[in-house]
Amino acid sequence: MALIAWWAPLVWLGATAVVIAAVVWYRGRHRSSTAAGIPVAHRERLTALPAYRRALARYRLLVAGFVVCLVAMIAAAAMLTARPAAVALVTPDLNNRDIVLCLDVSGSMVDYDAAVLEVFQQLSVEFTGERISLVVFNASAVTYFPLTADYDYISGQLARLTAEFDDPDAPYYGGTLIGNGSSLVGDGLASCIVRFDHADSDRSRSVILVTDNFVAGEQIFTLPDAAKLAVERGVRVYGINPGDATAKDYLDDLAVEFETAVVDSGGAYYALDDPGVIPSVVDRITSEQASVLPGIQQVQISERPQPWIWLAFASLVGLGLFGWRLKR
Amino acid sequence: MDSLLRRVKTKLTIHAHRKVRGLIEGEYRSVFHGRSMDFDDLRPYVPGDEFKDIDWKATARHGSPLTKRYIASRKHTLVLVVDTGRDMAALAESGESKRDLAILAAGTAGYIAIRHGDMVALVTGTSEATHYMPPEVTESHLERVLQRIHSSTTLAGEPSNLSRHLDYVARNFRRRMIVMVIADDRPLAADEQRLVRRLTVQHEVLWLTIGDADLMREEWTGSEMYDVADSARVPEFLRHDTALRAEFSASIADAAMRSEELFESLTVSSRRITSAAGVVPGLFRLLEAHKHARR
Repeated sequence: MALIAWWAPLVWLGATAVVIAAVVWYRGRHRSSTAAGIPVAHRERLTALPAYRRALARYRLLVAGFVVCLVAMIAAAAMLTARPAAVALVTPDLNNRDIVLCLDVSGSMVDYDAAVLEVFQQLSVEFTGERISLVVFNASAVTYFPLTADYDYISGQLARLTAEFDDPDAPYYGGTLIGNGSSLVGDGLASCIVRFDHADSDRSRSVILVTDNFVAGEQIFTLPDAAKLAVERGVRVYGINPGDATAKDYLDDLAVEFETAVVDSGGAYYALDDPGVIPSVVDRITSEQASVLPGIQQVQISERPQPWIWLAFASLVGLGLFGWRLKR
Repeated sequence: MDSLLRRVKTKLTIHAHRKVRGLIEGEYRSVFHGRSMDFDDLRPYVPGDEFKDIDWKATARHGSPLTKRYIASRKHTLVLVVDTGRDMAALAESGESKRDLAILAAGTAGYIAIRHGDMVALVTGTSEATHYMPPEVTESHLERVLQRIHSSTTLAGEPSNLSRHLDYVARNFRRRMIVMVIADDRPLAADEQRLVRRLTVQHEVLWLTIGDADLMREEWTGSEMYDVADSARVPEFLRHDTALRAEFSASIADAAMRSEELFESLTVSSRRITSAAGVVPGLFRLLEAHKHARR
């Protein structure tokens, strides 16, 4: 609990003191010219009555209640003008991240894709503010859904795509076969990189690229070209290569090329052959992002006037009640 | 200086139209039962005269009642004992000054006495001193008496001490006199009761009480009120209380009744006066009660 305008209670205290002093001074000045009013004798005729004592006690009680309410009212007013607030040191989550899932949907990759989708399915529950897009590519890239923070929708789409992966007849690859070849990774990555919008706003942009980099056909962008594009646009590429660890020689060069491209963009490269490892890999990617782009610590001040407003309201009601009883 | 006696006469004249003035004179005459045996003359009967003073033979000849008048064997003396403490400068039950009621009562009684050829003396004072004005029979003397009461009763004055003045009367006046006490409205203390009992043996004692202000009076609820004894406020906020008002008037009535019973037990004729309009009738009732009590 902190006070934004900490000096306000002092002002109230001063003002109250001034008012009390003025009243005391005024009464003191008028007390000197006493003997105004009706002169009577033997007031004990009245003051000795038990009914008088009762009435006086009741009156004193009312006055005490009135004064308590008045003090509470002034205290509440002083606190309200001082603007009580809760101060917290907040490290904002990386909720200004944009993540494009860039999945190679050539036949050999489907298992890995499904694992990645499953992980993001779970993650989407925890996300707040992150935007996710899903792009699948083979010979050409198809935006499954664009960057969005609508997690219900994301979840639904991911579930649907996961279901399609399991169904051999499902047209998950619809639109991905337009082009000369298959697994055109450079084109796919480039397509993913251009999915980012709001180029001028300061957001963390990353692509999670799942592919074996086994290109067949003619690409417009080679993987290094696409990596350059990523660097130009400030997009970090995280590569997941399930084909690397199989130690096939002909794949080795491709893996090295993939790794180089990814690391150049500031991302990281993960070679694996077991879809079960994917969740930990995604964890590492997201935590790495967090370390790469630490949020600036911010002092978050949120005003908390509620108890004082209630006190002010209650004392106002009390003032009204006691004042009414006193005036009667 | 405005003549206080003229005011008293004016008041009496108003009552004369109501045929009360003659009544009062008749009642005053009968305060002393003793009659001189020296016949003076006859005069028309006025209500209040003793029936036994009516000269029935003369009445039969004349056609209307005639009363025998005797030459007073001696001059009587009316001693006015007036409390002039500051409590008497406060307001009376009617809202008039208690002092004015006291002056009116003293003036009426004094004027009747002077007209009857009696002398009027004044014993007055506060807790500090007792003043005595020796008896005289002139109107100018009565005016001085009234002026004395008027000037010595002030809000800035000393508190009352009635027993001091009663003691003075008891000690200094050997001859039988008419002692009219014009007193404050409060219960008599034990020493005062003892003095009154002693005075009734020595003198004819008549007691007039000037009723105190009604503290719970509704017209006064908006205004400040203070006790003349110590300038303490009588709190304004409690004077609205209707329950308190009822209890107050009940207690005042009770106190008046107890005071009446007390004077009854002291065999003193007493009357409580609450307003200027009530002075002359009150005085009349006091004299009448005294006559019937045959004290």
